[in-house]
Amino acid sequence: MMRRVTRSLFTMTVALLLAGAAGAEEPPMLEPEIAAGKLPPLVQRLPRTPLVVDVKRPNWTPGRYGGDMRMLMGKDRDIRMMVVYGYSRLVGYDEQLRIVPDILERIDNEGSRVFTLHLREGHKWSDGQPFTSADFRYYWDDVVNNKELSPFGMPQALLVRNKGPRFEVLNETTVRYSWDEPNPQFLAVLAGPSPIYIYRPAHYLRRFHPRYVGQEKANAQASAAGSRTWAGLHQKKDEQYRNDNPDLPTLEPWINTTPLPSTRFVLVRNPYFHRVDTAGRQLPYIDRVIVNISEDKLIPAKAGAGEVDLQARYLRFDNYTFLKQNEKRNRYRVLLWEKALGSQMALYPNLNVDDPAWRTLMRDVRFRRALSLAIDRHEINEVVYFGLGVESSNTVLKRSSLFRPEFREAWSKLDLKAANTLLDGLGLTKRDAKGLRLLPDGRPMEVVVDTSGESTEETDVLELVRESWRKIGIALFARPSQREVFRKRVYSGKAMMSVWTGLDNGIPTPEMSPRELAPTLQEQLQWPMWGQYYENNRTGGQAPDMPDALELVRLFDAWRQSADDAEREQIWLRMLAIHAEQVYTIGIVTRALQPVVVSNALRNVPAEGIYSWDPGAYFGFYHTDTFWFDSKGRP
Amino acid sequence: MMLRYVVNRLLLMIPTMIAISIIVFVIIQLPPGNYLESYIAELQAQGESVDPQKIAFLREYYGLDKPLLQQYLHWVGGMLRGDFGYSFEFNLPVTKVIGDRMLLTIIVSGVTILFTWAVAFPIGIYSATHLYSWGDYGLSLLGFLGIAIPNFMLALVMMYLANVYFGTSIGGLMGPEFIGKPWSWAKTQSVLEHAWIPVIVIGTHSTAGMIRRLRANLLDELQKQYVVTARAKGLSPRKVLFKYPLRMALNFFISEIGSILPHIISGTEITAVVLSLPTAGPMLLNALKSQDMYLAGSFLMFLALMIVVGVLVSDLALVALDPRIRLQGGVAR
Repeated sequence: MMRRVTRSLFTMTVALLLAGAAGAEEPPMLEPEIAAGKLPPLVQRLPRTPLVVDVKRPNWTPGRYGGDMRMLMGKDRDIRMMVVYGYSRLVGYDEQLRIVPDILERIDNEGSRVFTLHLREGHKWSDGQPFTSADFRYYWDDVVNNKELSPFGMPQALLVRNKGPRFEVLNETTVRYSWDEPNPQFLAVLAGPSPIYIYRPAHYLRRFHPRYVGQEKANAQASAAGSRTWAGLHQKKDEQYRNDNPDLPTLEPWINTTPLPSTRFVLVRNPYFHRVDTAGRQLPYIDRVIVNISEDKLIPAKAGAGEVDLQARYLRFDNYTFLKQNEKRNRYRVLLWEKALGSQMALYPNLNVDDPAWRTLMRDVRFRRALSLAIDRHEINEVVYFGLGVESSNTVLKRSSLFRPEFREAWSKLDLKAANTLLDGLGLTKRDAKGLRLLPDGRPMEVVVDTSGESTEETDVLELVRESWRKIGIALFARPSQREVFRKRVYSGKAMMSVWTGLDNGIPTPEMSPRELAPTLQEQLQWPMWGQYYENNRTGGQAPDMPDALELVRLFDAWRQSADDAEREQIWLRMLAIHAEQVYTIGIVTRALQPVVVSNALRNVPAEGIYSWDPGAYFGFYHTDTFWFDSKGRP
Repeated sequence: MMLRYVVNRLLLMIPTMIAISIIVFVIIQLPPGNYLESYIAELQAQGESVDPQKIAFLREYYGLDKPLLQQYLHWVGGMLRGDFGYSFEFNLPVTKVIGDRMLLTIIVSGVTILFTWAVAFPIGIYSATHLYSWGDYGLSLLGFLGIAIPNFMLALVMMYLANVYFGTSIGGLMGPEFIGKPWSWAKTQSVLEHAWIPVIVIGTHSTAGMIRRLRANLLDELQKQYVVTARAKGLSPRKVLFKYPLRMALNFFISEIGSILPHIISGTEITAVVLSLPTAGPMLLNALKSQDMYLAGSFLMFLALMIVVGVLVSDLALVALDPRIRLQGGVAR
């Protein structure tokens, strides 16, 4: 881990670059300001050692400055996506899913216990103020350890057994976080699409903080701004992720200049951005990003009308043919990227269901296996997904180093005979006149599957599952509702089975947290009450009482204590194996595709890619700052 | 007499508004969950994670952990002081969120109403006076088409045609360079340039409706004895028409003013959504969807106030314009 982090590909070419940096061309957009003396020249704007971006990808070339990139979003609040796409983090994932320094020049990691963060000397915020260890100190002393700003304490990811780290400032560019026990998720959280910001622009935020301006002034400012407390105002101004405060200095490639509410957001290049290309040109190449807000259901139509240069959000696979049809006329191309979900759609038997008869069955692995065996995944793939999917259980994808074919194939091949045998073995041999099996208490076996009612795709798939389950004597009824109702029903145990997407992260590496696989969160639809139990520090909900689930909890704890890559990999594999054998969730088809509309003039967008929230930050780890427009913008 | 009537009506508005505020609040609270829960659910649906610490902070800060009654009193109390609460979605006071949108909404709706009148009056009068002529049939057909085609459908068709044949986007209300800029002559011009399409789209339906109603009312009047008498006495046709029958036929139009006021604010949500107009309608719709309760609540209260005031105004206008209507009618009985 440590070796990987410190010896990144990027930093190796730094020395090479420095020689050329002085003569590199300025972005034309900034030239008037530089000429007027409002901005210092490039060399003074960059850190002493900028990050040199050299993406090793076929067809990737250094680009040229200029152009406006247009995007569409469904809501004002979606402006936060630009922080995700910009993906400027202390450390970030590269395309091979390694964690490499980005804002940091390097990071020293001693046994996942002690992390020493080295900033880039001369790095500046977007307003030209220096970015130093003082910004880390401000977060530590005045934000996270301030009772009013953080009444609920530190973010979970900074806690190891409920204890936070020790924080030290070594000098102006070096800070250190040390825990007594390993905290392997620390770096992954910093690299996340919605990271923990352990640094804040102190020079800007101080003016709202009573420690620096006095209690009276802080309160007066708050009430003048319509906030009830100074903490409310501070919180509102300090939203690096929400990206809704144009005055907040940033380290992202583009700065939002438009306050909410608006229907059109303009983001301009950050003149102090810390990355350069191999020719010494400052990134991003693109001068401005224009985000128009539109009704989300109209976004596919507008994308098809050529109103975007880059768009994936709000486009669905069923828009593909429409988008493809307009490709030529509106001069764009439609790419199909792979989503990183463990399963495009999975069934979640609720192990915490109210009904005792069903609960006993749901908890019996033979029952879950029988249900999984009785799904004709091939038919579903052909009918609903044009055969483009991969029939699979809900497990990690082939791209992941943790993928094993046996996980994918476990209990996921259609075998009605075996399924029937399993059910007979459970003593469910009595049938009613319609051929449905009867529960021990005499009710017919009718499984009601709750759906969030958001797509016809769900109902189409369930219709096909219903047909094959009928052959093992089980009836299926879909119960569409609305998202919040859906969740409430699952959480309270009213829903016996639900349908949702599979694992969120289908491309994990051993360094990433396996929390999705163990009961840790209430939102885990297969065991919401167990998840709630651990989410609330072992209070509320129910403690799990099945040995395999407890084993998963134990393994997850072991992962959190582990400082060793090989050991972590073993833990991951063990957890995945338990999942495959126990069939806690019934995956159906994986390798779902995400259409991405890209203007023909836009370069450096990979033709094939992964569309993933974490890891990946959607476009983020493909370096949107290196996307550029050929031939002076759009045709 | 008149003064007492007005005062009575004004006093009656107070309990009406209180009742409406309770209903509005209850309805907004009816769907399960609250703003934070729908916010979390929305993030999760996109695969985003949520920081529980942050949510806990927001829950406390927004007062969502308080009992409902307390939330209600807080909201109503604030409104009395001119504080319409806080929009969770935008992280801003409601008045700031609504500000510019209200102005644009009033411009678009005002122009639409003028357009409706300008088109509907001549056509309605023509249809009524040239009953069962080819012109009447033709215009009636158009009118029926106008009523039958939903606005948003028309908007979609026009968007499609504009895109395919002119290669332009007709969404929006001004050139992109003016969005978020202070008002200026150039910006006003740009708004007027862009406004005509939404005006036609939104106005078609009500224009067609008004033509039908004007025609029907005018026909009723034209068959009355006094018209026949006036004609028999040799009054010019134009004077026969405008002096009495048309004025009589206008009562419906005045009583409609009451419903026009709220229509100005919210009558065009779906069309506005389709055309992505920066007006109040889409914002109200979104606020309701995301359970941004103070924003939605204040919007609805404002609409209710518009209706109540609008009805009062139209009642008073009727009294003033039509001598046959008397105030003491109900009282004297």
